[in-house]
Order: sequence, then C-alpha cells, then structure tokens
Amino acid sequence: MTKIVVSGLGVVSPYGAGAKTFWAGLVAGACPIRPITLFDTDGFRSRIAAEAPADVVAGLAPSRRRSRGDRLALAAAHEAVADAGLSPRDLARAALIVGAIGGGMLEGEACYWEEAQSGRSSTRRRAFRSILPSSHAETLGHELRLGGPKETVVMACASGAASIALGADLIRDGVVPLVLAGGVDALTRICFMGFNALKLLDPEPCRPFDRTRRGMSVGEAAAFLVLEDAEHCEARGGRDYGKLRGAGMTTDAHHITAPHSEGEGMIRAMTLALDAARVTAAEIQYVNAHGTGTQQNDRTEALALRRVFGDGGVLVSSIKSMVGHTMAAAGAIEAVATVLTLQHGVIPPTAHLTDLDPEIPFDCIAGVARASQIELALSNSFGFGGQNATLVFQK
Amino acid sequence: MTQKEVLDDLKAILVERLMFDPSRVAEVTSETRLPAGVEGSLGLDSLDFLELSITIEHRFGIVIDGETQDLTETFLSLDSLSRFVLARMGVA
Amino acid sequence: MNEERRVVITGMGTVNASSTGGTDAVLSSLALRRPTIRTVRTFAIDGCPSCLGAEVEESVLTTRLHPDVARRLSRVCQLTVVACRLAVEDSRIEGGPQLGVVVGTEYGDIRSTVDFVEGFIRYRHSGLSPMTFPNVLMSSMAGAAAIAIGAKAPSVTVNQATVAGDLAVARAAALVAGGRAAAVVAGGVDELCEALYRRLAQMGALSPMRGMGVEGCHPFAPDHNGPVLGEGATFLVLEDLAYARARGATIRAEVLGAAWGNIPTAPHTARPSQADAHSPVLRLLDHSGIAPSALARCYGSGNGDPEVDDWERALLARDLPDHSCRPGLSPPVSLAPLFGQHAGLGALRVAAGALDVSQGTGPVLVHGIARGGCRTAILVGSPV
Repeated sequence: MTKIVVSGLGVVSPYGAGAKTFWAGLVAGACPIRPITLFDTDGFRSRIAAEAPADVVAGLAPSRRRSRGDRLALAAAHEAVADAGLSPRDLARAALIVGAIGGGMLEGEACYWEEAQSGRSSTRRRAFRSILPSSHAETLGHELRLGGPKETVVMACASGAASIALGADLIRDGVVPLVLAGGVDALTRICFMGFNALKLLDPEPCRPFDRTRRGMSVGEAAAFLVLEDAEHCEARGGRDYGKLRGAGMTTDAHHITAPHSEGEGMIRAMTLALDAARVTAAEIQYVNAHGTGTQQNDRTEALALRRVFGDGGVLVSSIKSMVGHTMAAAGAIEAVATVLTLQHGVIPPTAHLTDLDPEIPFDCIAGVARASQIELALSNSFGFGGQNATLVFQK
Repeated sequence: MTQKEVLDDLKAILVERLMFDPSRVAEVTSETRLPAGVEGSLGLDSLDFLELSITIEHRFGIVIDGETQDLTETFLSLDSLSRFVLARMGVA
Repeated sequence: MNEERRVVITGMGTVNASSTGGTDAVLSSLALRRPTIRTVRTFAIDGCPSCLGAEVEESVLTTRLHPDVARRLSRVCQLTVVACRLAVEDSRIEGGPQLGVVVGTEYGDIRSTVDFVEGFIRYRHSGLSPMTFPNVLMSSMAGAAAIAIGAKAPSVTVNQATVAGDLAVARAAALVAGGRAAAVVAGGVDELCEALYRRLAQMGALSPMRGMGVEGCHPFAPDHNGPVLGEGATFLVLEDLAYARARGATIRAEVLGAAWGNIPTAPHTARPSQADAHSPVLRLLDHSGIAPSALARCYGSGNGDPEVDDWERALLARDLPDHSCRPGLSPPVSLAPLFGQHAGLGALRVAAGALDVSQGTGPVLVHGIARGGCRTAILVGSPV
C-alpha cells in the first residue's frame, strides 16, 4: 500500500505568518481572539474574532488587488512548497486541492455595501469576479505553476480536512506523486453575521469543553500541507514530518445544520479513518478535536469519542480555543497542529478551559501545553449539514 | 393587543419568514402543536424556532432569551406562544 | 484499496430547461432538441446588456416537492434534491453508508447570499435570517441532497467555472474506483437568478459579451460571441460494477476513465502561461488502451465563449492530431445550445455519452476546459 508522508507545511494564522509562529503560539497557549477590526460589529452579540495580524497581512503579497483570502493562501502555499523543497519540475505535476468557503467575499461585500448605499456602480466592482471559493485555486494554480489536477472542495467546516483526504486519494490512486492540499478562509461579514444570527458565537473568547461554554469564536487562516508518495519523497531527499495514515469521510444525512444527536456520522468517520490507517482505537493517543465550543458540537463530539475510545481513553484538545474557528482552513491548520504535535512531542492546550463539562469525560489538556511522546493521533473536522472528515497521522 | 391579533401576526410570520404555504397555515389552530416529532404538528425544528423567535422579538418589541430559560413549553403551540408574547408585552 | 474497481452508470436524473425526469427525459431532450433559450421571464431584464437564458419552469419543482419540504429548501437546493431523487429512482438504488454525493456548481446559492445580506441592509440585525444563512454555504446543496436520498458516504461539493459538473463526475468516479463508496450520485447544479445574471451580463461574461453581434449561443461557430446562461440540475448514479451486478441494476454505460488537470493560466483568462504538460485526454487514452480513431464522438465544454471555444479546439487538435478535422470529435459536440451554460451541463454531456454507447456507438470522450485552466476528460464506453 502506498505510504503518504507530509513533506512540507505552510501556515498563516492569527499568530502571524509561518508554521513556526503558529506552533509557538499554540504551545504558549496564547489567545489572539480580539475585537474585530476588519468591519463594523455594532450591535452584535459577539464582536470578537481571531484575525490575522494587520501588519502581517499588509506584508504578505505585493498586489493590493488580490483578495485577503488569496494573500493568506499564497503565503501559506509558498511556505509549504519552499519547506518541502519542491522544484518547478515537481510543481508541474503536483495536484492542488483547496478547501474554501468564503473566497474573496470580504472584498465583494465591501463593494456590495458601497453600491447599496450610494446607488451607483462601485469602482471596485472587479472584486465580484473573485468572490467564489474557486478563486483561490485559480490564483495558486497559476502563481505556483501547478500542472496536476486542480480542485476546490467545499465541505462546510470540514473543507480543509476533506481537501487533505481527497488529495491523499490522488496519491494512493497513482494519479500524482505530490499534492498541495489545504484550506483558506478570510473573515467575512456574512460568516460573522450568520453565526451571530444562529446565536452560535460566544461574546467572550470561546471555551470548548467547558461547562459554561456559550459558542464558538470565528477566525481566519490559511494552511497547506505537501502530501507526497513516501518513495518519491525519499528519492528526492525530501523532508518527512510524519505520515498521513488514513482518512474517513461520512455524511450524517440527518439535518441541514445540527449534527446527528448521537454522533452517528462522526463515529463512522473516525472508524473509517482508523480502518483505512489499519490501526486500532487503542493505539491512538491524542485527538485534535473539532471542539468548536458550541453546546451541541462539543456534547455530540464527546459522545462519539466515548463510543470510539471509551471514557478517558484518549487525550483531547481543541486549538479553536486559541485561533478560533477558521472555517475552511480549520481542518488544514488542525492537521498541521496534529503533525507538529507528533513531531515535537507536545500537545497544544485547550485554552480558557477551567470547568470541564462532566459530559466530556476526557483529559482535555486544560490551559497549558503538555509534553507527551505520541506516535499516532487523529484530527476531527465536522461541518454543517453533518459532513464529517477524520484524518489519522503517525509520527 | 388582543390574543387574536397576536395569533394573526404569528400566522403571518409562519408564511412570510418560515415560508409555509398560506393554505397550510389557514388549517393551523391555536392548539396545533409546533415542534417536529409530534403527531399532527407543524414540524418546526431548532432552526425554525430561531427564525421564529428573532422575528417575534422584532415584530413585538420583546426579548426572548432561549439561552438561560427553557422555552419548550412556550413554543408548544400558537396558543402558548401568543400568551407568552402578551405577557412579555405587559398586556396579559 | 489499491485494487481498481470498474465504474458504471446505472441511472440519471435531470431537471433542465428542456425536460425533467430520468434516463427517458435526458434521451428526449437530446432527441427532440427543443429550443429552450429565450428571453428571461422570471425577472425583468430591462437595461441589461444580455436578455437570453434557458430557464426551468417553476411548476416542475412545485409538483415534485411536498410544500413542507420545499419551504426549507432554497431554489437551488430544490433543483438538486429533485434531480438527485430522480437519479436514485432511475437507478433503483437505496440510501445508506455506501452511497455518496458529489455536487459540482459554478455559483452555488447566490440568491440566498444576496437575500441574507439584503436582510441586514434593510432591517439591520433583525433582518438576518438564521434559516437563510446555512444556504449561503456552497455545500448546502450536497447536504440537502444527502438527507433527501439518505446518502451517508462522503458528500462533497466542488466549485469550478464551466466544468464543475464534469469535475464532480470525475471525482465521483475516483471515489468509486478507489473503493471509498459503492455508489455516488454525482453531477452539477446552478440556478439563474437576477443578481447573478445582471452582474455577469454587465461584466461582459455573457453573449453578446462586449456588444459584438447578435446575442445567442453558437459554440464553435464563426459568430460565437459568448455563453448563454441556463439552469438546472443533472445527476448520474456512478457505481461499482460488482455492486451494480449484485443488486441487478440496469447498466447504461461504463466510465472507462476520468482525469482532470490544470494548465497554469491567469484567473478568468483563456491564455495559458505554460503549455499543458499532462493532458488528461492522453492520460486516459493511454490508460484505457483506446486509439483516437476508435472514439465515436467528443462532447466538449465549448459554450460559445470565443476564446475558450478556440482553446478547446486547439487542445483537442493537438491531442488527437490525425483527427483534427473530424466534426463531432474536433470541433467537439456542444450541448450548450440545448440547455444553456450551468454546472448541470457537464453531467448532461456525460449522460449523452452514456446514451450514445448504450445505443451501440464506440467510446465517447467528454472533454472540458475552463477559463483559469481547469481541464477535464471522461471516457465513456459500453460495459463488456
């Protein structure tokens, strides 16, 4: 069976640019969730988010005509490709899979608002051409001269993880030896307003797994991984951050926003991923949880974890407690976090967790990172509409 | 406001915001059960109730706090809901 | 997982401007060639540089969906749900953990996105509809379809200009071939809505583009001057051959191979910055051992956009050098004049190929190329 290694990482997160910066922030348990600066939040229940730092974004890409999402994506993708040491020849046959939701909507919204208020056509209306999720893949495919299959995957909040699972399939099926897979989302008004309307946002920084949790915090990020056929990687002397052992994707087919009450689809995603990885639940030591901080998600995910691992059967943490829910990027940055957890032997904490919900009988690494040598870990991503993806990584 | 007026407004919300067919709403009595999963109910789920409560807050100028209170009984039927609205408006 | 499974087509469902139904409906739209492109009727078109479209009759949806179900689905979700149900009925396949969904879309639910934003612009916070918001996510159609047909294997949405339906079918074929689902309902959906139509027309993305010539859909013709928008949903049931045989399904055609790639090209343009080094067409022909001379036909994505029509023609001429002037292969056959441009069109082209081979023709190539460089190829043959 084809072995798949992770040979490059790239991240732009609310901590700033670079996978190293991202990891340092996580290990420190730092929380960059702050009042939103990108747009007006007057009168909303929650007015905070984990934005990428303004000075960092300003320095990312030379062209101001690019959408914020494109700039985040380009920086993370360039970093991953450089980190993996890929040559133009490698890139010419590499596949690209981008998990995306918001596209260039932030700029599209600004333009729409302007036109609605002025009643005139905006001079910035070119922004409308790039509002779709596929705009990022178009930009990356062109800028990086990627010649393999190109795809934009939307699977709600599991988009980033789905892009990694589908990318791995291309390697396993022998279509390409290399895939640049990941996810990106810049903050948008629509996303912020929508989750506010659903009353799913905590007015304070989110507290996954805490008894008093009141919802999630939104964030923005881009993260890309270079996935590579292990033989191909070894032959060219590439880096080996760890192995993607398996993936599982399922659908609840239950409700358009709520998860199945007993986590049926989540359990199946984890079980399928374990089967694909040919490992047992007992061998998994750590789960990087979806852990959004909403009552319903955390309760249901805990039910599913109990069914798969047994009470307390695995260490669990949610980095959304620090960088927020970065939407289509979430599954990808959490995959990066999981890979780095294995590599460094340190588990990132669940910040703001002081009063563990008794319905969540797991050690959730409250507040402070913990050193722990781990061989196998799992990363969960569960989206709206019951779209689930689980990834299994090995050191 | 009378209970009849509140009921009429609630029925209008069912059509305008919850997208029910007017003929379906015409059959609804004040005793018709609202939540899904109950025999003969209108079949509303959590998302419907959220839409309903936001619209009610705006239309009647009241605050509905579903986070700290259990509103299951309130949203059982149009009768219970209209009485809740009147009470919150201080009309009861 | 490495053992490659054979992928067959066992059903199809469509809601388009010409017809609605299963295999018979697709057959009748292709045979009757009813004109569907006319002046848009569902919204006022005054002051717009384009006025043509291929619209789905509203009654098609109202008669096929229970009002209690329809009220919670946006229109593009309704199109998706109806077409997926028709495909599943046509194939007589059951839902469950073995059935997946792949939805291709060019624009997703622009109508709901605009409705949601307009709610805020008009009524501030109280105008934000929790019921509308989930539709803003492009994955909502796949979510709604999965619920409607009980699909519990992966439900994936792919977003792509022009060839979204092709890409969805190709990705679904890979899911089945790789053993990740026994069957996948795959295709494309888009709807015509005023906000999108006006915006595209103003940008010059629709015929007559920048005012040249008479508006209309004329792919590969000298007077081609832009695409005409259509709408609808078309889905195919792609299935593992062994699974299909075991349940006694009617096998319409086999997907001999599906491949997709990228020709590095600046976004929104049809001028590649680099040659196509890995043609998915050559990869498929090579992999399946089929000679270009054996191809009965090629359905292309050419929709009247002059630059893309010419690009597609050149790519096919290069990949099939001895057949560069074989009408029906190069230039390929376009179905855009029958249905208008929308993501369902890719699935309709694969469906047309499946119906050709079921009537005894040789293998059919379904080809696609989009501005921005996404290129697709699907090879359909009769199952042996």
